Amino acid sequence: MHFTAHLWLPFVDFIFMRRALIGGLVLACSTAPLGVFLILRRMSLIGDAVAHGILPGAALGFWFAGLSLPALTLGGLGAGLSMAGLAAWITRRTGLREDASLAAIYPISLAAGVLILGLAGKRLDLLHLLFGSALAVDDTTLTGMLWVSGFSLIAMTLIYKPLLLDTLDPLFLQTVSRLGPVAHGLFLTLVVLNLVIGFQAIGALMVVGLMMLPAIASRFWSRRLPVLIAVSAVLGCLSVWLGLLLSFYYSLPSGPAIVLVAGGGYLLSVVFGPVHGLLRRPPLLSSQ
Amino acid sequence: MITCTALRWGAPGQPLTPALDLRLETGSLTGVIGANGTGKSSLLKVIAGLQKPLAGKVTVDTPRRGGLSFLPQQQHLDRQFPISLQELVAAGFWGTQLSAPQRSQRLQAVLEDWCLGGLEQRPLMALSGGELQRALLARMSLADAPVLLLDEPHAALDEDGQALCWKHIHAWHAAGRTLVVVCHDLAAVREHTPQVLQIKSSGCVLAPSKELIRAQPRMQVA
Repeated sequence: MHFTAHLWLPFVDFIFMRRALIGGLVLACSTAPLGVFLILRRMSLIGDAVAHGILPGAALGFWFAGLSLPALTLGGLGAGLSMAGLAAWITRRTGLREDASLAAIYPISLAAGVLILGLAGKRLDLLHLLFGSALAVDDTTLTGMLWVSGFSLIAMTLIYKPLLLDTLDPLFLQTVSRLGPVAHGLFLTLVVLNLVIGFQAIGALMVVGLMMLPAIASRFWSRRLPVLIAVSAVLGCLSVWLGLLLSFYYSLPSGPAIVLVAGGGYLLSVVFGPVHGLLRRPPLLSSQ
Repeated sequence: MITCTALRWGAPGQPLTPALDLRLETGSLTGVIGANGTGKSSLLKVIAGLQKPLAGKVTVDTPRRGGLSFLPQQQHLDRQFPISLQELVAAGFWGTQLSAPQRSQRLQAVLEDWCLGGLEQRPLMALSGGELQRALLARMSLADAPVLLLDEPHAALDEDGQALCWKHIHAWHAAGRTLVVVCHDLAAVREHTPQVLQIKSSGCVLAPSKELIRAQPRMQVA
C-alpha cells in the first residue's frame, strides 16, 4: 500500500474515525475565531475557567439523567456560563484582578464536580469527562457539533465588526453604537457553547487546548486579523487530522493526541514563525 | 449646544470640583486647561456619556450616538492589535450611508488630509505615536459628527503635526461644529481657541482665552 493511503484510509474504513474527524474539523473551524478573539481581549484564561466550570454542571446532569447528551449539555452550559459570569461579576463589583478571580473559580468547580460525581455513586469516568474520547462521537453528538459550529460561524460573521471595535477601542464603539455589550455577551456564549459541545468529543480540558493553541500559534504567522483566524483554523484542522491518525496507529488516547499535535504546531510556530519567531531576523526593508 | 447643570464628576465619593454650571454654544470652540488630575479627561467622558456624573446633569442637543465624536488619549489602544492603519481609520464610517466607491474616495481624501498617504497597509505596531494620533484624528474626520470632543489631540504630534491638527480644528469650527479641546499648551490655546475653560479644584472658570491666559513668554533654547 502506498504511504499516503495511510493518511486517509482509516477514515474511509471506519465510521467512528470518520465521525471523529468531521466533528473535530468543524470544531477546529468554529473555535479558531473564538480563540483568536479571546487572546486579543486578554481573556485567554477564561477558556480554562469555563472548561472547569462545565464539570459540576455536567456531573449534575449525569446524576439526574444519566449519560444523555441533552442533560450533559444543558448542565454544562448552565454551569459554564454561571462560572464565567460569577468571575466577571466579582471582578466588576470588588475590583479583584480578573486572573485572580478566574483562578479562584477553577479549583472550586473542579472540586465540586468531583464531589458530585462521588455523591452520584455511579461510576462516570472523570478522566472521560476531562479528556474525553473523540472515537466515541456518536451520531447525536456529531449532529450537535455540526449545529453548534454552523451557528458559531454565522454568529461570528455577524458580530465580527462590532466585536473587533469593542476589543480594540471600546470607548469609540460606545460613542457610535450600542452593540458593544451585545457582541461581548454573544461572544462569551459562543465560547461556552463550543467548549460544552467539544468536551463530550475530546474532553473538557482538551477542547480548551484545541481552541487556544492554534490561536496562539497563529500570532507568529501574520499581523492581519482575518489571516490569523484562517491560520488558526488550518492549524486546528491539521492537529485534529494528525492527532486522530496518531491515536489510531499507536493506540493513543485521541484527545491528548490532538492537543499534543496542536502543541507541537505551537512550538514550531514559536521557533520558525515569520512574525517575531525565534529564528526570524527583522528584515531591513519591509516588503510593503 | 452643551449644557452642564450643577455637574459634579470624578471617582465615586471624590468629586473633582465644585458643582459646574456651563453652557457651550453650538458652533463654539472651547479650550480646556488645568493641572494633571483636575478632571479634564473625565469631564469629556461625562459629556460624551461614557462616564456617569456623580451629580447634576449634562445635556447635548444632538444624539450622543452618531452626533458626538470623542477622541480619547491614545494610550488605551493595544498597539499589538493585528489590523492596518486603513482598517482603523475606516471604522469612522460606522453608521454612515455611503456606497463602496464613495467610501474609498472619502477614505483616500481623509488619509491625504492627515498626511497618512502611503501608510494604509502599515500594521498598528509599526506606527509611530504621531502617526497613530493622526490616524485617530482621521477616523474622527470621517464621522461628520456635529459635536467633537478632543482629549489632548496634540500629544505625540511634532510641530508640523500640531499645526496640521490646529488647521483642522479651525476648519471644523468654521464649518459650524461645536468643539471642546483639552490641551496643555497654554500659548497654543491662547492663540487658537476663542474661549477657555479652566478646571481647578477650587472652581472652574469659563472666559475668553486672551483674558484668562497671560501672553506666554516664548521658550528659547540656546
